[in-house]
Amino acid sequence: MTATKALDFYLPDELNASHPPEKRGLRRDHVRMMVLDRTTGEITHDRFFHLDKYLESGDLVILNNSRTIPAVLHAEWLRNTVQLAPEVEVRLARRRSEDIWDALIVANPVKTGDIFHLSPELSATVIGEKENSPLKHIQFTKKGTELFNVIYALGEPVRYEYIDQPWNLDYYQTVFASRPGSVEMPSAGRAFSWELLFKLMRMDIKVDFIQLHTGLSYFLDDQWIQTPEDNEEEYHISDRTMARIIETKASGKRVIAVGTTVVRALETAAINGALSGVTNLYIDQQFPLKIADGIITGLHEPKASHLDMLSAFVSERHLLRAYNQAIDTGYLWHEFGDMNLII
Amino acid sequence: MENKVVMITGASKGLGRALTLAFAKEGARLAICARSSENLLRVKEEAVGLGAEVLAVTADISKSRDVERFVAMTEEAYGRIDVLINNASILGPSPMPLLLDYPEEDFAEVLRVNAVSAFLVTRRVIPGMLERNVGSIINVTSEAGHTGFAGWGAYGISKFAVEGLTQTWADELSETNVRVNMVDPGEMDTDMHQLAVPDCDYPLAKPEDVVNVFLYLASDKASGINGQRFAAQSEEV
Repeated sequence: MTATKALDFYLPDELNASHPPEKRGLRRDHVRMMVLDRTTGEITHDRFFHLDKYLESGDLVILNNSRTIPAVLHAEWLRNTVQLAPEVEVRLARRRSEDIWDALIVANPVKTGDIFHLSPELSATVIGEKENSPLKHIQFTKKGTELFNVIYALGEPVRYEYIDQPWNLDYYQTVFASRPGSVEMPSAGRAFSWELLFKLMRMDIKVDFIQLHTGLSYFLDDQWIQTPEDNEEEYHISDRTMARIIETKASGKRVIAVGTTVVRALETAAINGALSGVTNLYIDQQFPLKIADGIITGLHEPKASHLDMLSAFVSERHLLRAYNQAIDTGYLWHEFGDMNLII
Repeated sequence: MENKVVMITGASKGLGRALTLAFAKEGARLAICARSSENLLRVKEEAVGLGAEVLAVTADISKSRDVERFVAMTEEAYGRIDVLINNASILGPSPMPLLLDYPEEDFAEVLRVNAVSAFLVTRRVIPGMLERNVGSIINVTSEAGHTGFAGWGAYGISKFAVEGLTQTWADELSETNVRVNMVDPGEMDTDMHQLAVPDCDYPLAKPEDVVNVFLYLASDKASGINGQRFAAQSEEV
């Protein structure tokens, strides 16, 4: 049992960022940044492009280079050749193999054997379901790059209820993403620009990448609360990156993880020694972090399990105080919102 | 070139086809695209016949969605892109009207296809190159992109944009090992040249004759060369 004791607070609606910064007249790297000292709990308010002020030569910043795919599809729903609905939503949740995905099908009740026609050239059959979850296993009639071809031609990015305009997929990408596979943007890296990354590198602050493809985090129905242990995600860390991490730690410098996905991948590798695999690691206050010395992240919803992870970096008391201050001073939440550096 | 992943836009005919076949002979793994599938698949078959691995994708790379689809499929298939050749372009109305007579929509379309697409594809491909800190981008330009000639219309202006894009990007990347250069292939016997100069009465090079400078710029021999303009048919190359 986990995620039962979650941090709660009241988040006013107007603090949900409904527009990307670029649509609010702001460069992506000019969003606000709340800096929270891990030890003292001291809070500083700044802009993200001043990140370099809080880092030192020799520190290593690790980013997740997974790229967002357009995971929301629409399909005709058929059972035994009878049409049950002309159009239902099929939300890809996680890739299982070349042609099999876990998917949330927004229709009820979907049964094994049901067929979904996504286009004249692509359909999918329900071949099973995931335990304790609304997700179904679906098998497509295409696989690999051919399947990607159709998904990219038809799909739209996952957009949540606080988004009132259909921002195109490009707004759901970080500038450094080059490994397609995430169902939701690994959004902690969104505020980085190449200009900022080049600046860090010139200061001998190292930048490196790992890969963790995010899965679907919300199932559109509060009946289903996905715990981190239910949410298995595929990760990959290269030998070279791990060597740089070890080198950084050995020289007394800090490893800064950009996003909860990066913390998850790094700490999984620290525990089991596997540089690639699937993780369902749950990190909370009691978790002894072995690699990440700091985290750059967005602002997380009340009761989100991500907050449990943040309390591994800083005491709940300091975290809650910082969050209250962020609310009072109008920070923006979610993937298009402001940033939080805990160091 | 063995096993290098080479992406070529506008590969169904002319220079794009010649480049595809030249890189195929050198053992490259290819990702090629064009707007119409028929000729593209023919070029793919030819390259496969030379022993190459080829991903051919029908795409209109002046559209962001198609760029994302083409590049993501390539990353999915090969895991990386080592060389990008921005070759795709259109001429616009033929015979080319003077700018004085140029239709507004045609002007915008030529700029969009020739200049905006090179921006979109390059911006999409560079991050993977920067992550590995290696990569070569080659933009195809034209003499008409270097000097303004009456009668070369929007095409020439779009190539001026490509040259500016090359220089600006090369400067932005100057602290990295990713390099951006451009090649003016010179006049060639292609469908596009037929549209540009309908009654051509002078001899023309074959597209196959100009591929060497591209092979060179794509190779490790050209590492360190950044922001340069090459003329494939002039003496100095």
